[in-house]
Amino acid sequence: MQPTSGELPEMNNLNPLVSLHDSQMSKSSHFDPTSSHDDFLDQMFSSVPSSASSFPWPEDHAPPQPCHLEDQSTALLASKLRQQQISNGAAKALLLQHELMLSRGLAVNDLRSPSGADIEFLNVPHADQDDVVDGSYYKSANLDHEASVKALFNGFTGSIGHSSNQPQHLLHSQKFGGPAVPEMNQPAASGTSGGGTAGQPKQRVRARRGQATDPHSIAERLRRERIAERMKSLQELVPNANKTDKASMLDEIIDYVKFLQLQVKVLSMSRLGGAAAVSPLVPDISSEGGRNGNGTQTASSSNNDGMTVTEHQVAKLMEEDMGSAMQYLQGKGLCLMPISLATAISTTTCRTRSHHPLASASNNPLLNSEAAGPTSPSISALTVQSATIAANGGGETSLKDVNSVSKP
Amino acid sequence: MKERMQNSSLKQEFLKNWIKGLQLHTNFNKNTTILERRKAIKLSADIAIASTRNSTTRWSRALISDASRDGSNKTLIEKISGREAPRKDSFGLIRCSKKIMKRSRVTRQIRARKAVLPSVVGASLIEKKLVKSRTRALKRLVPGGEDMDEISLIKETIDYIVSLRVQVDVMGRMASVADRLIPFKSL
Repeated sequence: MQPTSGELPEMNNLNPLVSLHDSQMSKSSHFDPTSSHDDFLDQMFSSVPSSASSFPWPEDHAPPQPCHLEDQSTALLASKLRQQQISNGAAKALLLQHELMLSRGLAVNDLRSPSGADIEFLNVPHADQDDVVDGSYYKSANLDHEASVKALFNGFTGSIGHSSNQPQHLLHSQKFGGPAVPEMNQPAASGTSGGGTAGQPKQRVRARRGQATDPHSIAERLRRERIAERMKSLQELVPNANKTDKASMLDEIIDYVKFLQLQVKVLSMSRLGGAAAVSPLVPDISSEGGRNGNGTQTASSSNNDGMTVTEHQVAKLMEEDMGSAMQYLQGKGLCLMPISLATAISTTTCRTRSHHPLASASNNPLLNSEAAGPTSPSISALTVQSATIAANGGGETSLKDVNSVSKP
Repeated sequence: MKERMQNSSLKQEFLKNWIKGLQLHTNFNKNTTILERRKAIKLSADIAIASTRNSTTRWSRALISDASRDGSNKTLIEKISGREAPRKDSFGLIRCSKKIMKRSRVTRQIRARKAVLPSVVGASLIEKKLVKSRTRALKRLVPGGEDMDEISLIKETIDYIVSLRVQVDVMGRMASVADRLIPFKSL
């Protein structure tokens, strides 16, 4: 009976854990997961009500045989716990405490809710806790496939909010809060000792393995967390990304990337070929405009008049057939683009380079020009002409509305 | 809202770069086939979107380096990105190291496969296999993705998707203007 009595004072510490968990559920930000181990421990140990009495410890009620088995394992765990506590592994000590708790929970059904609560609390302190130890322990104690599925699920979500919500539901449906620990996908490399017998020797092996891979498990945990948070931001980008499963999420991502790449390919094949032919002519016009613009006001005004003529022509053609209008424009060395882009380009290029007027006809389906007519289905053809920059470096853009043509 | 502002500046920069690249193709006449045109346009667009990142991301560097492997694209790259096309030496080294990494990865995989002999194929193993194969597929899709670890792969994928969306949006607007068969759609 000695180990059990020795365990009791350690068990007392679990009560604040339970209370912490309850507060956790009320306000999510109560527990700071990024606090160091020491803070976490201080937090816990500071609020120790010695309510050993309130804590149900029905060893007496338990059937003797399973208790006997469990006693051996718990004895082992308790010894390990003391070792850990001595050797500065405070966090691990806590986790071993939990293991002890759960070993009790295994034997005794009455402990269902507290053990569940404990397990849930285990989910909470995410940062740097090697829940792997518990994960391995649970794996041994419970159904493997259920464990793995849940573990993957939890491992993928990874955040506190997620894992504390989801496993709760699953937990209470199970006999003794199952493998709700987020990290159970222990790298198989360290799982060599996992095979073999069920029950007590397996537990002993698992605990030892958890100790040995301590830094690895922490690194693994960190890595998983980073992956999970990046996946979350990826989820917002990709449509249809409400999948919780990592594999299906990856599938969606792949499909979306393929789709976007295909779109680019198709768009480059469209009649943009005409636009491509257009752009080399732009410098020619710009050079002409430069020559003109360097002159007097009349020159620039004549330049404007030239544009007006073109605009009217384009407008007329647009009324008949958009395609012919486009071809006319392209023949002139102009292209249509949304006005916002055009103004942006012109302002930036005007600032950087002098004598660089851009002449282009802009098309903005949202803008409604002088005609007081329809709103959305109309296309306004706008001509944007940025005048040449004079020697003193001033740049101006003049907008000219032509008319609005309703879309066929 | 901030994202939208970032996005619009991205779009503008992409359009600028793209037009710069398109201006080089003065040899477009009636005889250039659609295929040639398509390749030229796509090339300009890809280099344009990659240079909006200013070599801060791996996919952009990989894209530009792949394009510069073909010597004829050198002027294009220089014009668009405004800086020297990357010299072959540095990328040869990178490719060498990539090969070495690939070899080590392959041997590691072979060793791993020999070591682990699962007696029972649980759901977890299937899941892991799925995840692995899909990660590999994603690596093939993202330019330069073959040698990234999982964390940076996801980060690069995010950036790549954003850039692709910008590309599609701008090209789509241009195309809807040039060819009214494609209805104008704003993302």
